[in-house]
Amino acid sequence: MRPWSLLLVLLVALPLVAGVATLPPHDAPDAPIHTQVGALYLERGVAETGMKNLVTAVLLNYRGFDTFIEVVVIFTALAAVLALPKGSAPLPKGNAPLPKGSAPVPKGNAPLPQPDAARSQGVGGARSREEEAPEVASDVPVSPVVRFVVRLLAPFIAMFAVAMLFRGHITPGGGFQAAAVFAAVFIALGLVLGQDRAARLVPVDWRPWLQGVAPLAFALVAWIGWRLTGAFLGYPIDDHTVQEAMGFVLEIAIAVGGGVVLARIFLEMET
Amino acid sequence: MSDLFDIVMLALLIATAVTVARARDLLAAVVIFSMYSLTMTLVWQHRGAPDVAMTEAAVGAGVTTVLFLITIARTTRREKP
Repeated sequence: MRPWSLLLVLLVALPLVAGVATLPPHDAPDAPIHTQVGALYLERGVAETGMKNLVTAVLLNYRGFDTFIEVVVIFTALAAVLALPKGSAPLPKGNAPLPKGSAPVPKGNAPLPQPDAARSQGVGGARSREEEAPEVASDVPVSPVVRFVVRLLAPFIAMFAVAMLFRGHITPGGGFQAAAVFAAVFIALGLVLGQDRAARLVPVDWRPWLQGVAPLAFALVAWIGWRLTGAFLGYPIDDHTVQEAMGFVLEIAIAVGGGVVLARIFLEMET
Repeated sequence: MSDLFDIVMLALLIATAVTVARARDLLAAVVIFSMYSLTMTLVWQHRGAPDVAMTEAAVGAGVTTVLFLITIARTTRREKP
C-alpha cells in the first residue's frame, strides 16, 4: 500500500509545487490577474455598479449568482445539521456508527480508553448536580482568566463586526466577514457563559426567519432587480442610489443570516 | 524578501498539514489545524486579500476549531488504530 500512496502524493504534489513555483512575483504589473477580467472590473466597476469597494461589486453584482447560491449552501448546511437525530447519548454508546470497513461496531462499546472513562464519570457527576447544565461547560469549570478576557473583549469584537458591515463599502470586509465575526463572538460567549445564556441572544421565535434571511433577501432583491431591469438579479445601471440600497440589504442579510446559521450549528452541537 | 516570507509560510503550511494528518491525538490535531488556518491568514493578507484573511481567521481558526473541539468532547480523543 505505501508505495502506491507515496506515488499518489507525488502525483498531486508535483503539479502543485510546479504551480507555486511559476506564480508571478508580487506586484508584477503584467501578472494574469491584472490583465484579464480583473482589469475590466477595475476599469469599469465603479461606474457600472456604483460600489466603491470592488470586491463587493464583484461579489454582489458581477458574480451575484455565485453569492446567491453560496448563501443557499450555507443555509443547506444548517438544514443538514438540524436534520440529524438529536439527543443521542454522548459517550457510553456514543461512538456507535463507526465508518464502514473499520472494526466491527460492538467492539467499540467494550473497554473505553482511559480519558473517556474519566470524562464520562465527570459528566455523570455534573448531571447529578444540575440536570440542565450544558455538558461542555460543566465538564471543566471555565478558567476565570478566559472568562474575564472573553467578556471584556466581546463588545469590542462585536463592534468590529458591525464596523466591518457598515464600512464594508469602502474598506475590506462586508457581510460574510461580519457574519463570521458575529458567530465567533457568540460562540466564545456561549463557551464562557454557558449555552443557555448565549442562546437567549437569538430569540427562538425569530430563528426560522433569521436563519433563512440571506437566501430570502437575495430572492427578494433578485425579484426587485427583475422588475426594474428585466434581468433576474439585475441592478439598474444608471441609478446608483437603488444599486447601493440593494447591495446594502444583501450585505445586512448575509451578515445576519450567516451569523445566525453558524451560531445555530454551534447550539445544535452543544445540546 | 517577500519570496522568503512565502517560502517560510508555505513550508510551515506543509509541516502543519503533515502533522495534522499524522497526529493520533485528535485534540492536538485540532489545535495544529487552527495554527494552519492562522498561517493561511497571513498568506492571504500578504497576497493582498484582507477580506479572505478575515474570513479565514474567524471561521478557519475560530469557529471550526470550536466545532471540532465540541465533536471531540462528545466522542473520543483518540483515533482508532
